[in-house]
Amino acid sequence: MTDDTTPTADDGTDEQVRTDGGTDEEARTDGGPPATVPPDDETPAWSERKERSQGLAQLTYQYFERSRREDEDLRTESTYVERDVLGFPTWPHETIRNLAITSFFLGIILLVSAILPSHFGDPANPGSTPAIILPDWYLYWSFGLLKLDPINPDLAVLGGNIVMSNELLGLIAHGAIFGVITLVPFLNKGNARRPVEEPGWAALGVAGVILAITLAALAIQNFFPIQLELLFSLVFMLPVAGGIVTYAVLKTMREGYMYDLNRRYFMLRPPK
Amino acid sequence: MSLKKQDDMDHNAWIKSQDLTAIETVFLTTLIWLDKRLRIVDYLELLETMYYRANLQMPKSHTEQYDLDNKFWYWYPLYSLGSLSIIAYLLAAVSGAMLGFYYAPSTAGAVAQGDPTAAYDSMVMIMKDVQFGFMLRSIHRWSAQFMVAAVFLHMLRVYFTGAYKEPREVNWILGVVLIALTLLFGFSGYVLPWKQLSFWAAQIGVELALATPLVGEWAAQLMFGGFTLGQATLVRMYILHVFVLPFVVTSLIAIHVGIVWVQGIAEPH
Repeated sequence: MTDDTTPTADDGTDEQVRTDGGTDEEARTDGGPPATVPPDDETPAWSERKERSQGLAQLTYQYFERSRREDEDLRTESTYVERDVLGFPTWPHETIRNLAITSFFLGIILLVSAILPSHFGDPANPGSTPAIILPDWYLYWSFGLLKLDPINPDLAVLGGNIVMSNELLGLIAHGAIFGVITLVPFLNKGNARRPVEEPGWAALGVAGVILAITLAALAIQNFFPIQLELLFSLVFMLPVAGGIVTYAVLKTMREGYMYDLNRRYFMLRPPK
Repeated sequence: MSLKKQDDMDHNAWIKSQDLTAIETVFLTTLIWLDKRLRIVDYLELLETMYYRANLQMPKSHTEQYDLDNKFWYWYPLYSLGSLSIIAYLLAAVSGAMLGFYYAPSTAGAVAQGDPTAAYDSMVMIMKDVQFGFMLRSIHRWSAQFMVAAVFLHMLRVYFTGAYKEPREVNWILGVVLIALTLLFGFSGYVLPWKQLSFWAAQIGVELALATPLVGEWAAQLMFGGFTLGQATLVRMYILHVFVLPFVVTSLIAIHVGIVWVQGIAEPH
């Protein structure tokens, strides 16, 4: 506890001598030294303490140091000049625009709910199954996934019995679809933003949308005047067809863009 | 000089020393009284800060900065779909809270199979007897439809403009979760009137839950309160619809928007 720089008593004891002749210990009425060590030159600073720590905390500290250094390096290397922010004031411009959009949407919703009253059917009857069971429209695709029984695999070893129940097949289909959608950002990387830049992914998206619609048609198959087998084939053929068409269209558009770019380039720098 | 401690902040003397009107005196006295107890001055400073924050300029978006508005204005609705789904969600919350005053989640009252239950009767009451009730239910239903539609289209917009790419994967996953929860919201609300379609939709739900390997029966118990539909199912759907999902979905939306705020809007370039 004692500090070498403070004056000590002549007889060599550790006790510090106060100016009135007594010692610290005598003068102390508060029951002992403070629980915390007062900061002096030996006390490690915050950053030093962080540096000295171990394990995960140390790793975290080291990473943050690295990323801070990376930021600084990027900033010093970049040619970007910070200018005053060009922008519209929050009030009135942004606020008015947001209020306009909000009241427009609210107005549309209120108008539609005023002129199109919602359906209300008979009370629930567990005893009689209705001819048509349907969820709301936004679950049609999900309901369609439950009607995939024609493609439920059957095995010869099971004597032609299906491997799993049709409900389980539907559930697995749901899981597959949600899984693929979740994985999209991990599969599709890069800086491309526009559909033209990535015709394949755009085609996949269009195929997905069409599949949702055709699955909805499968869900309300009772209403469709065509044969179930044909409908079932269309459910999977139409998305593929739509995807191919999208791919072709986007590729062509891309050629057109490239043509325009090249023409502009050669107009600026004509070949010698 | 007296030994009595001087009050440097004798506000009353300060008030008296000034030539104030009655209104000013009353206002100041009230303000000082409140400020001594609630320390309003701190909050006034907060308000001042907020005032200056609100007067900050929003940075110009990519489109505005490069003057692409003439090319992009017709895409604008696609960029307000997230906003639309939140607006519809809020409208559904308000109208739903009002419907909650009249709706009774109960299957009591049916003597024979197919008789109207208390839940069905309360819906009929809302639509026939309650002032503005028909419109209220219509608003609730249509705002739900609009929310689901907006959420789907929002996802398509994000997909086709590649807005989910590198730093924004987490928000994409959060969005997928939010879509699933929105569909669950719609499903649980669809069951509540306890009409034929509600009942049989819930029946499919139970069968689906039971078909799940390992956790099927547990899931059916948890979500539908049993393997056959009844009072327990209705109450579970009700609590899910008016208590659990609102909290979960609202917090997830807050996080979703917060992440967009932190990361910035990904505009096509």
